[in-house]
Parts: sequence; structure tokens; C-alpha cells
Amino acid sequence: MHKRIMSIGFLIVLTLIVTGGSFAADYPTKPITLINPMPPGGALDIQARAFASVADKILGQPVIVVNKAGATGMLGGTAGSQAAPDGYTLTVGSVNIPNALEWEIVNGRKPPFTRSDFIPIGTFTMSPTLLVVPADTAYKNLADFIADAKARPGQMAFSSGGLYGMSHLPAEIFARAAGLKFRHVPSGGGGPALTAVVGKHVDFNVNYPANTLPLVRGNKLKALAVIGAKRLKAAPNVPTTKELGIDAEYYGWVGLMAPLKTPKPVVDKLKDTLKKVVENKAFIDMVETPGDEVHYLNGDELAKYMEVESVKIAKLYAEMVKEGAK
Amino acid sequence: MDMLNNLLEGFRIALSLKNIYLCFIGCLWGTMVGVLPGIGPLAGIALLIPATFGMDATGAIIMLSGIYYGAMYGGSTTSILMNIPGESASVVTCIDGYQMTRKGRGGAALFIAAWGSWIGGTLGIIGLMFLAPFLANFAVKFGPPEMFAVLLIAFILLGSLGKGSFFKTVPMIFLGLLVGTIGMDPLTGAMRFTHGIKDLYDGIGFIPVAMGAFGIGEILTSTEESLVRAVHKVKLRELLPSREELRASWGPIIRGTGIGFFIGLLPGSAHVLSSFASYTVEKRLAKRPEEFGTGRIEGVAGPETANNAASQSAMIPFLGLGIPTGPATAVMMIALLIHGVRPGPLFISEQPQVFWSLVASMYIGNVILIILNLPLVGIFINLLRVPFRILFPLILLICLIGTYAVNSSTVELVILLTCGVMGYLFRKLEFDVAPFILAIIIGPTLENAFRWSLMRSAGSFAIFVHSPITAVLITLSGLLLIWNVYRTLRPKRDWERALEEE
Repeated sequence: MHKRIMSIGFLIVLTLIVTGGSFAADYPTKPITLINPMPPGGALDIQARAFASVADKILGQPVIVVNKAGATGMLGGTAGSQAAPDGYTLTVGSVNIPNALEWEIVNGRKPPFTRSDFIPIGTFTMSPTLLVVPADTAYKNLADFIADAKARPGQMAFSSGGLYGMSHLPAEIFARAAGLKFRHVPSGGGGPALTAVVGKHVDFNVNYPANTLPLVRGNKLKALAVIGAKRLKAAPNVPTTKELGIDAEYYGWVGLMAPLKTPKPVVDKLKDTLKKVVENKAFIDMVETPGDEVHYLNGDELAKYMEVESVKIAKLYAEMVKEGAK
Repeated sequence: MDMLNNLLEGFRIALSLKNIYLCFIGCLWGTMVGVLPGIGPLAGIALLIPATFGMDATGAIIMLSGIYYGAMYGGSTTSILMNIPGESASVVTCIDGYQMTRKGRGGAALFIAAWGSWIGGTLGIIGLMFLAPFLANFAVKFGPPEMFAVLLIAFILLGSLGKGSFFKTVPMIFLGLLVGTIGMDPLTGAMRFTHGIKDLYDGIGFIPVAMGAFGIGEILTSTEESLVRAVHKVKLRELLPSREELRASWGPIIRGTGIGFFIGLLPGSAHVLSSFASYTVEKRLAKRPEEFGTGRIEGVAGPETANNAASQSAMIPFLGLGIPTGPATAVMMIALLIHGVRPGPLFISEQPQVFWSLVASMYIGNVILIILNLPLVGIFINLLRVPFRILFPLILLICLIGTYAVNSSTVELVILLTCGVMGYLFRKLEFDVAPFILAIIIGPTLENAFRWSLMRSAGSFAIFVHSPITAVLITLSGLLLIWNVYRTLRPKRDWERALEEE
């Protein structure tokens, strides 16, 4: 595998030297692969495939989404960071990647790759999570829920799609802001996590709107709050934690990343394409029908956002490690 | 009869020329994907999603689901003819299917496999049609503790899967469990046994192991016997099953449908369990169970029916609740979302035309598949007329390409070849390979279910007897274990001893 990368890299360098800036004009000349580090069927998959279906017309080459799931995104992230930096293998990045890395660092382990192995291209969405409980519980609103949690600390449990993923961290942030203690039981992915709460094997779950809203509409789940500052377009009746006086907000971004050494002309073209895609009506429809909201950050804004977030997350992790959470 | 009206409307939409064409493409692609070892239905579906971008939602889902259940038909072909499982649910078919080919009954095996698949699929659709909303709710009640209980029974039943004694099979199961732990632990993120090899982070896939231990192991063993095999003309009589074989298949097919349908509902990729549960049940019910493993038609009819019924019922939680239970249904859900259709509990009531035309197209698809597969039996059998010394390198090539096609990983090629040698050694030492491979597939799920349950209950084992389902299943598994040990240790009955001396 390494030999392959080296020989491709050598060829690229040679080609670059020969063709120089005209490289961008020729890119792309063959299909582009998007590595999705999460299991198929999640929010990343929908957005990546929606992107693919619009971007291939803009770029003139097929865009294929490949799932390389495992270890809350570490497996796909590792593959993406080590891919040939020619713009033909991109990674669908999400907040899971920096989160998982920070966890390794806080625990004194060296992660297989870091944020700086990637060039952020931009984001598709930036979504808060919804706190959902089974539909037939007695809670009428978040206040009821909090009262119950205060009455039996440490006994209520929540499922998540995986450690430090989007369905774990917002719950931790919420719990700390409201002064509650819960037990965390991770599953392998958003699907099993949702099944666990629909089947009443756990008490609640926090998850992306796209995954939870259909179940709320179908009366299998009740949404008690949005863990963020603004109400959702798709769920205008659900209050936010900020409204209810709880200082908890967390957003999961999903976007595109390229390996570090990707040449600037290619990166610029990708950034341009991404901007066109998020303004495309078909793409917006595909993303917002399930309930997410398109929110575009360009590459530099994303890089800055990741910087700021990583400091906050590192602090959270430090607390969690101190409390003995694993 | 509202349902009948809906179904008729669904047929009207599904029988349009465009939708029949899409269904046919899906089934054809699915069969091919099933036949080709290495590429499974998941890859097949994912590959074809971009092709659906210009279509409407109904057409897209008709095509994609055709791939899904079509692959269950094709997977048995290489299992029976070459002892290479086309995909995980076909592993069990290798056991008796390949032995039937060696006895010259390969055509009959393929025929019965297609026939059973059709019945299992069609009856599965009927079940889906009537019971989808109700069953979806039931499926959700099956949490990790229940899954653990089911898998525990499955593991104990695995012990009686092998030809040999219980105590000879158990080491293979444990070896499989051990191999299954390689990779990243999903609950803590710790790396186990990976030695820093990146390709092992996700664990050892089933494909290199199964193709190696079954396919290459078989080549090595057969090469020992003779490189020259008489090539005989294939008579029509050999293509069709005999009357006794047909009669013997009915029971397994009916039972397989029931077993497969029930198991397909369970969350998690319990798919492979369906074929293997059917196999163990048939073995228990047979008058001469020791003949299983030498080419009994029941060992093919039951499992193949079961895996088709399971692939139909696996769509119920996805269609009825919008929660995909495995990667293939997850990808189908995405395809629907991309087309603006929202799966969820209200899917059936809000989008009846999509749901019912999908159901109608499944009936049509199963018919297309059996029409496709039956004549293909003759073509595939002719493959066997190729002389050994050409066929074997060809199989080796297919295994190598199939393995590399999945992840482009040379590490997996090494695993493939190592397992090939291991498979050969196992055979010489008269250990059974199937329990080893099944343990690799099911082991991680068992472990995760166990640990999730204990994390939920903060370490208390009471969670396993908490609900009636788990309590019953756990007691059953305890009883089964005791019975298996007893049966192995007790003095042999006369007829058993006589058979062994033969």
C-alpha cells in the first residue's frame, strides 16, 4: 500500500512539474471517491450522497461514496489522511473526527492521524441534536424529565451511536449543564442506538434531526428539546435548551476534507464546487427533507471552528477522564 | 378489503414496462453480485445508487431491493459448485451443497436451492404484506439482552453443526471467537491483536477467511487425491432433482421459511443465522443426522429457503419503522431519502403507492429470479466439465480477485492464503471448518450484545432474565448445553457404533 502511494506521489510530482498550474484545468479527469468514515445509513451518508449526485454534474466526473466504517470514524479518517493527495480521494469529515482524536490525546495515546493531516474544504451542515424519549413516557416537557433524573441520579441511561460521537457528547454536555448524572451505554451506530430507545431499553437518546424526526412524527419518540440555541425549521414546536435556561449547545458539522498535500489549484476547485453545491436547490431539498439544515462554512472558517471547538472538547474530556468515565 | 385494493394498485404500478425493466436489472445485477465471491449485496446496492439519480423513488427502490434479494439466489451457486460461499448467508449451503456436487447431484442442488429460494421469498413477502407494522414493533422490543440470548443458543447449536463430536467442534468455535476479536473494540476503542497493521483495525473479514478455508482448502485437499478426474457428459437427469429429493425438500422448505422469516426480523445482521439455524433444525429432525455433511438435499433446501425469507423480513423494520437493521437496508433507506421519500412509521400510510408497488415488485422479482436461475443451472453445471487442472487455478484466481476487490488489501490476500492452508490442515485432522467461520461472523455481535447489556445494567446479570423472552431463551440454552455434553459423553447406542465402524 505504501509503495503504491509513493509511486503515485512520484508520478504526481513529475506531472506537476511538467504541467504546473494547468493541473487545475485538467482536474478532474477521472472519478472521485468520497470516503465516508461512518457506517452506511447515517446523516453523513445522506449528505455525502446528496453532494455526490449534484457535484458530479458540476465537476463532470462521477463522484462515488465509499463507506469505510469503524471505530467512530477513525478507520475512515486514517484511510483518508493517507490517501494520495491528488484530489481524487476526499474524506467526508465530521465533528466525529476531531473528537475521536482529542480523546486519544487526552488519554495520552498518539492518534493515527491528526486534524493537521487534512485541508478542510467546507461544511454542508451544522446541526444541533434532539433529545428524544420513548413516546409513551409520562414526561410532558424537559422540566419533567430533569425532575425525574434528579430524583434518581445515575439510574437513567442513554444510548449512543459510539463513544464521543454526535450522540454521546451533546448528552454529556447537557447532563453537566443541568447537573444530572446518567449512565452511558454505547451501541455500534445510530441505528441500534435509536432502536434501543424506541424499544425502551434505555431512557433517552440524543441524535441528529434527520434520524429522529421521522420517528417523532410517527409517534414512536417524543422530542423534548433541541440542544442548541435556535429552534429547528423542521420542528418549530420543540424548545431549545438555551430557552429553557440550560447552558448547553453542541453542533455537529458534516463537510469535506482533502489530504494535506493536495495541490492548491485542486483545493480551490473543490472549495468552489462545494459552494455551488450548497446553493443548489436539489441538494438543499435532499438534505432538508429528512430534517437537517444546510449551513455552509468555507474551508478557513471550518479550520477556525475546529480550533475553537477542540479546546472546549479537550476540557470536557479532561473532566470525563477525571470522573472515571471511559 | 383495503389491503387487496392497495396491492392491486401496487401491481398496476409495478407492472409498467419501466418498472419491470428496473426490477429485472436489479435481479440480474443481484444474482451476479451474489455469484461473484467478494462483492456482496451491500456493495452491489451502493454501486448502483448513482444510477438511480434520474429515476423516481418507486423505480429506484424496486431496482435496489431486487439486488438485495437477488443476491440471496446467486450466493448459493458458487457455494454448491465450488465450495466458495458467495456471501455470508451461503456458508452453510457449502456444507452439503458441495458434497452433492461431488456425488454428481450438483444440478439437483442448484435447482432445489432456486426453488426453495422462490418459495421462501414469496411467502416472506406475504408475511411482510400482512404483518409489517405489527412485526416492526415486535422487532424493536428485541434489545441487546434478547439478542445475546438468541445468539447464545445459536452458539450452542453450532456445536452440533459439525460432523464430529461436540467436543471436537467446540475448539473450532473458540478459535473462531478468538479470531473474531481481532480489530478495534467498538465499545472502548482499544485495538486488539492488530500489531499495528492498519488493515486489521476493522477485524478479519469473513470473505478472506471463508474463501480461504472453504475454497482454497478444498482445492488443496482435492489436489491430493487426483488431478485427473473423469469428465463425463452431463445428462439431463442429473440436472433435475429426483422424486425422492423433491419430496424430501418440502419439509425443510416450509420450516426454513418460518425460521428465516423470524430471524430476519431481528436487529443486527443476524442474517447468516437464518440459514444456519435452518440447517441445525433439519439435522436434528432427520432420521439419519449423521449423513448431514455428505450431501443431503435437506441441508441445501432448508438454509437456502431460510436466507431468502430472512432477506424479505429484514426489510420490515426498515419499511415499518424507518430504522435499518443492517448495512444493506441502511443504504436502501438512503436511496429513498435522496429521492425525497421519508421512511418512518408513517411511510406505509403516507406513501402507499411506493410501499405497495415495492411489495408487488418483490413478487414479480422473485418470479424473474427463478426464471433466470433455473436455466442457468444447466450452464453452471457445464462449468464443472472443465478439467480439474484448469478449474482449480481458475478458482484460486477468483478467490484472489474477489478478496482484493473488497478492500484492495494485500494483508487480506495473506489471510486468504493462510486460511487456505489452515482449511487444508483442518480437513486432514478431521475438524470442521464451518463452525469456525460462523463463530467469526457471529462472535463480535455476541460479544457486543453481552457487554452492552452489562453496561446497561451496571454489571448486574439480572438483565438477562429480566424480560420473559430472555429468561426463556437463556434457560433453553442452558438445557441445550447440558444435553449436548450428555449426548457426547454417554455410551454410544448400537446403531451409532455400527455406523462409525463402517
